[in-house]
Amino acid sequence: MSNSLLNRLLLVAALAVAYVGVPLLFGGNAYVLGLIVAALTIAGVAVAWALLGNLGGMVSFGHAAFFGVGSYTSAVLAMKLGVPVFAAMLLGGVGAALSSIAMLPALRLRGPYFALAILAYAHIFQILATEMTPVTGGAGGLLSIPRFPKILGFDFGEKLGGYLIVLTIVVLAAFAYDAIRRSTWGLALKAMHDTEVATRVVGVPSTHLKAAMLVLSAFITGVVGAFNAHFISFLDPDYAFSSGWTVLPIAAAIFGGYRTVWGPVVGALAIYLVDQLLFKPILPHGHQMVLGVLLCAMILFSPGGLMPALRRRPVKESRHAHA
Amino acid sequence: MLTLEGVQVNFGGVQALKSASFFVAEGESIGLVGPNGAGKTTLFNVISGVVRPTAGRLDFRGASLLKLPEWKRARLGIGRSFQIPRPFGHCTVRENLLVAQRFGAGKKDPGRIDEILDILNLRDKADRDATTELALTEHKALEVGKALATEPSLLLLDEVLAGLETSSKRAFMERLAAVRDRYRLAMVIIEHDIATIATLCPRVLVLNFGQIIADGSPDAVFRDPEVIRSYTGETTLAEAS
Repeated sequence: MSNSLLNRLLLVAALAVAYVGVPLLFGGNAYVLGLIVAALTIAGVAVAWALLGNLGGMVSFGHAAFFGVGSYTSAVLAMKLGVPVFAAMLLGGVGAALSSIAMLPALRLRGPYFALAILAYAHIFQILATEMTPVTGGAGGLLSIPRFPKILGFDFGEKLGGYLIVLTIVVLAAFAYDAIRRSTWGLALKAMHDTEVATRVVGVPSTHLKAAMLVLSAFITGVVGAFNAHFISFLDPDYAFSSGWTVLPIAAAIFGGYRTVWGPVVGALAIYLVDQLLFKPILPHGHQMVLGVLLCAMILFSPGGLMPALRRRPVKESRHAHA
Repeated sequence: MLTLEGVQVNFGGVQALKSASFFVAEGESIGLVGPNGAGKTTLFNVISGVVRPTAGRLDFRGASLLKLPEWKRARLGIGRSFQIPRPFGHCTVRENLLVAQRFGAGKKDPGRIDEILDILNLRDKADRDATTELALTEHKALEVGKALATEPSLLLLDEVLAGLETSSKRAFMERLAAVRDRYRLAMVIIEHDIATIATLCPRVLVLNFGQIIADGSPDAVFRDPEVIRSYTGETTLAEAS
């Protein structure tokens, strides 16, 4: 069986488990389902972060800004203008994408300078959310944000509905990432990493491509942030713009393998669920330390992350196959 | 096709190009020579948009290039190679050419990639990693290939023969001649090897201290006392020897 066919079958099986198996197994367990939703929320941001990091070649420390802007845009539109929640969620992504346009000048910077500049931008948006009290509710935040509606009798405002929504967002984001990666645009983005000037002289508008990746990454993160706002029904600036929305997705993407499409998703599920279900009950006040050790071990022993490590064939098996 | 008039480039207090003026006609092959530091690569950087000139005029087919970024110039038909090969990382040889073709100036003819691979003798390396699995000659060929894949009408080649052994150099020259004849494009070639230039180019420009000091046939240019002085410090070849 070819690798490509095997990968497709695995993907179909994983999607079947996600859309059918998980609801059947955990549909009645609100606690576990809530943890999975939280893990998928991190996964959505991790996919968006990896898209920018892997394809755009830019390490961002500021994705919390897009998450926060997306969540506030959607919440305010739904609460104050009565925009339907699903439409508001998409507009949350648009709001985050628009906020990323303010960051475009930072594309002139490289490496750590870009990362620090985007971190500074994130703080600006947090301050704006705190100070624009008439719109955002200021430091007190927004309460009773409208939840997802019932459609054809199915309540998307419940945990299972939220799970299906965030799962769909993550799957669509991963498919979009994969489609771009396979296109000639993706090829050009890959080519840009080591020698941007060499790509520009063959006609690649490198700054435009990087800008497109930043805006798309911000849009996805904003949609995830908007989903989260309607799922938990509450927002305040410290929560919506928390550095956790940057740090956890980065850790998840690196743990799972940020140069693969599904690595960030697997990484988010692995580190969040293992942390919450296994380490937290044992070490209630120091469970994140174990995660830190695991992340260091992954970087040392499989720098590409979990997905490439799982794909690697054992040496003996490989030799046998060639014999 | 290409006209430069009084092109000047300053890097801080250093004047890399003083006042470069020349033209390139459609389909013409020109050798660009000069001592190290004369400003040859800077001139290519100016034409391709990598460096913005401090002053001067730069027109391509009647339109000014001065405000256009590199990628728009490539799409107008200006292709270039770099002196030190810059293959696209983590891409195969074929992918390098595909990127150049997809974003370049041409009609995206799918057969052109194979044609370039054949003409540059890279066909059997097409699926190799361009960064790690090529020899120097192949890297140089890929530099030319990437520029060709953009389907340029003006090709700027920066010392593509430098560092090659004599036998490889001869073979590479034949490939360049084949490229020139097949695609009928204008070429400007920076090269130190005078014999190579004389073989490939009926016209030679000599650049020294950022200025064109000679422009003519190889025979006339290499007997020009000012050219000899720029290389040797003497006014005749007899004195120099």
